[in-house]
Amino acid sequence: MEKKDLAKFTKEELLELAKKLKIVGRYAYTKDELMDKIVKRYKTLNKNKAKPAPERKLPRIIEKVKKVITRGRKKKEVSPVVLGEKRVEERAPRPYWEAPVEPAQTVPQPQKEEISVAVAPAREEMFTFPRAYGDTKIVLLVRDPWWLHAYWEINREKEEELRKKLGDLYARSKYLLRVYDITDIIFDGTNAHSYFDIEINGGADNWYIEVGKPNRSWCVDLGLLTPDKKFFLVCRSNVVRTPRFGMSEITDEEWMSLEEDYWKLFGVAGGFGLGSSPVQAKRAFKRRFKEDISSGAPWSLFSLLEKEKERKFWLVVNTELIVYGATEPDAKVTVQGKLIKLRNDGTFTLRFALPDGMQYIPVEAVSSDGVDKRKVTPVVSRRTE
Amino acid sequence: MNEKGYLALVLHAHLPFVRHPEYEDFLEERWLFEAITETYIPLLNVFERLLEENMDYCLTMSITPTLASMLTDPLLQQKYLRNLEKLIELADKEVTRTRWQSDFHQLALMYYHRFTHTRYVFVDKYKMNLIPVFRRLQEAGRLEIITCAGTHAYLPLALHRQAVRAQIKTGVDLYQKLFGTRPKGIWLPECGYNPGDDEILKEEGIKYFIMDTHGILFGSPRPKYGVYAPCYCKSGVAAFSRDMESSKSVWSSIEGYPGDYNYREFYRDVGYDLDYEYIRPYINPDGTRVNTGIKYYRITGKTDDKQPYVPSWATAKAAEHAGNFMFNREKQVEYLYSIMHPRKPIIISPYDAELYGHWWFEGPQWLDFLIRKINFDQKTIKLITPSRYLEIYPKNQVLTPSMSSWGWKGYSEVWLEGSNDWIYRHLHKAAERMAELAKANNHPHVDGLKQRALNQMARELMLAQSSDWAFILKTGTFTTYAVRRIRDHIARFTYLYEQVKENRIDEGWLKSIEDKDNLFPEINYRIYAE
Repeated sequence: MEKKDLAKFTKEELLELAKKLKIVGRYAYTKDELMDKIVKRYKTLNKNKAKPAPERKLPRIIEKVKKVITRGRKKKEVSPVVLGEKRVEERAPRPYWEAPVEPAQTVPQPQKEEISVAVAPAREEMFTFPRAYGDTKIVLLVRDPWWLHAYWEINREKEEELRKKLGDLYARSKYLLRVYDITDIIFDGTNAHSYFDIEINGGADNWYIEVGKPNRSWCVDLGLLTPDKKFFLVCRSNVVRTPRFGMSEITDEEWMSLEEDYWKLFGVAGGFGLGSSPVQAKRAFKRRFKEDISSGAPWSLFSLLEKEKERKFWLVVNTELIVYGATEPDAKVTVQGKLIKLRNDGTFTLRFALPDGMQYIPVEAVSSDGVDKRKVTPVVSRRTE
Repeated sequence: MNEKGYLALVLHAHLPFVRHPEYEDFLEERWLFEAITETYIPLLNVFERLLEENMDYCLTMSITPTLASMLTDPLLQQKYLRNLEKLIELADKEVTRTRWQSDFHQLALMYYHRFTHTRYVFVDKYKMNLIPVFRRLQEAGRLEIITCAGTHAYLPLALHRQAVRAQIKTGVDLYQKLFGTRPKGIWLPECGYNPGDDEILKEEGIKYFIMDTHGILFGSPRPKYGVYAPCYCKSGVAAFSRDMESSKSVWSSIEGYPGDYNYREFYRDVGYDLDYEYIRPYINPDGTRVNTGIKYYRITGKTDDKQPYVPSWATAKAAEHAGNFMFNREKQVEYLYSIMHPRKPIIISPYDAELYGHWWFEGPQWLDFLIRKINFDQKTIKLITPSRYLEIYPKNQVLTPSMSSWGWKGYSEVWLEGSNDWIYRHLHKAAERMAELAKANNHPHVDGLKQRALNQMARELMLAQSSDWAFILKTGTFTTYAVRRIRDHIARFTYLYEQVKENRIDEGWLKSIEDKDNLFPEINYRIYAE
């Protein structure tokens, strides 16, 4: 790594890198000095890495054991971990009806080595998701017929403006989400069918909102409520509509259908057998949503066919047999009558699953000119008790 | 024409774009390799054989733009071949190792022959590229290939219309390039439909899309034929929706066929079962055990004591299940016809393609049996594709389908919950910024470096939008990878955004990410300008 390679990074990025490299006193340096230090640090790291392991004469078997021990790679932490932790903290108050997500679930665990100190980390690795983008806005998303999700941010200018406007009241005011039912109307801030408030605590920046009503339109105001119940709008969301859940009450003349027929077809479509009654069908349909009959992602590792997980104590023991040997590299060797391939140096290894019983393994080598023959027959017996 | 109704089997083939030229081996690339060996090639083998034997059949298949991009990528083709060669090497060793255990020995031989045949098919017959094979089957009238949103973004949470349009348009454009025609239909990612999205489909000339059952059942006005006839959205695009009964028999882990005790057990793989030192060269280079694809056991029962797999028993079961499936569809069609007469019902049965072969090892065989049985053993049902049904019945009810998806609980919860809701803030902001720069540069004078940077921004944005990352975050496995992918793409996008704005594009770096995220070479950022 050369100093010029580092020039494209900003000082913040370099500081991040210096932190990863554990460079002490990094904040005191100028950008130029920082680059020098980083280059130097890389050089030492690479030198250490390049140094061959001290030569030690170990008996072969120990070398082999050693190989096994050193096989696993060391895992290194990657930045998403830090990010995950931060998020949990930020999102602590969860108005979600389910139990709060355990940090262990939310924090992505590093699974394999992704950063090697010997290579400059890619720019992407220095990127952290901004907590906010300097906007003042609230965005509403539909989760299902009964729930919405909102996320928002308020920038400093807006906050300052509110502080000024409200004066002493600001500190005693509460942030609120005001959820309006604006089905089939052009909303002007005052004409909603109804609304309800949700008090936001602890600096949350997103919320799950239970509206409980399918097939209605919604809009949410983020605002401040003063102790004397005055509402100051901060920002207004987009308009969304919860989906219908159930049969439409509207029929059209040309395609008139009997309710009876609808349920007959509904029963089949929902997979509850032929001609289910309306009551059965509706109930069963709700139940079917809880089943997972699509995978979302069927590739590796995502369990589709549920694995029967019974916690049971168990033990499996298998035995294998390794037959190995060596002869002249150009010889022909057969094992149990079957010709096998020799390595270039004339050695061979065969590995067999070894079932119970007696195994005769005749090994025969014939020289390339067909003159010399050698035959060895190991006999192995396995018995399981 | 004495059939009473139609069956449309729809296979949705999708994998997210996973391509890491910076690593020699990359764990997640195995998703593609496994799917090629276990699903795509076995399915193509079945389709081609049926075609050679002049069997009357037609199926619908969606091949997502990300999957198509990977299947046509020379680097991944090479990496796949290397993966397959390793597998053959392992199967060869297994033949020797299992020599004294005849049950396993037969299976090892089966795998060895299978994999060597796969290599022959992939290299000699298909010249490393599966897409032209799919195309030939479409041109022969046997497959109706439909497209999908560019990177499989879950559209109901996309927020910005430009972002939805860009996803759709990218899918359509790539389709046209690969298959030489416009797609008739589209698979909306996760069947995620939001009223109004059909207008964008209309702009692209798409005739139909597939949705989940309740999308039509809860549509308004009330659908006369339930899900057994398509409906037109106000835009004129047809919506076909899934029949749950037929879906369940294949999908359901409780009632479905794939759970039969004679079928191959997915979870017992030699990658986990065999001695570490022996299997080491065939698992992930970092030493993590993974599935290799060589599996010796049958499901056996609700037990850990698994018995060896017996291929002939499994084949017999697949035939039996195909017969059962056909019989149930006949009964279903007769019943539906009695209500819908004179209209002939259409039953839409969509599945993830990777279910066949990868999860359900006998799936391709089952499909083969089903098609043959439908040809010879009955007269009630006929296979059809949605576009052919529309030709027979061009007049259909007009309604507004309900927002829906085929995910757990039927709506957006899979992709919008505690583990993944934080991504939308960033995805939406990126889409907003993309539109901002696309508008600012919406004139023909933008070229060279700036144009490249803007196009790359569009690629990065779309890659970040893949529904797969949100899904992985929810399932809790491989989350590091999903977070990393969202971060990488948002990071690349954000840096480019700043560079374009400040007019200081770092060409070397741009080139390096163009090489990594190299899909959609013909993308045009102006699609975001609207």
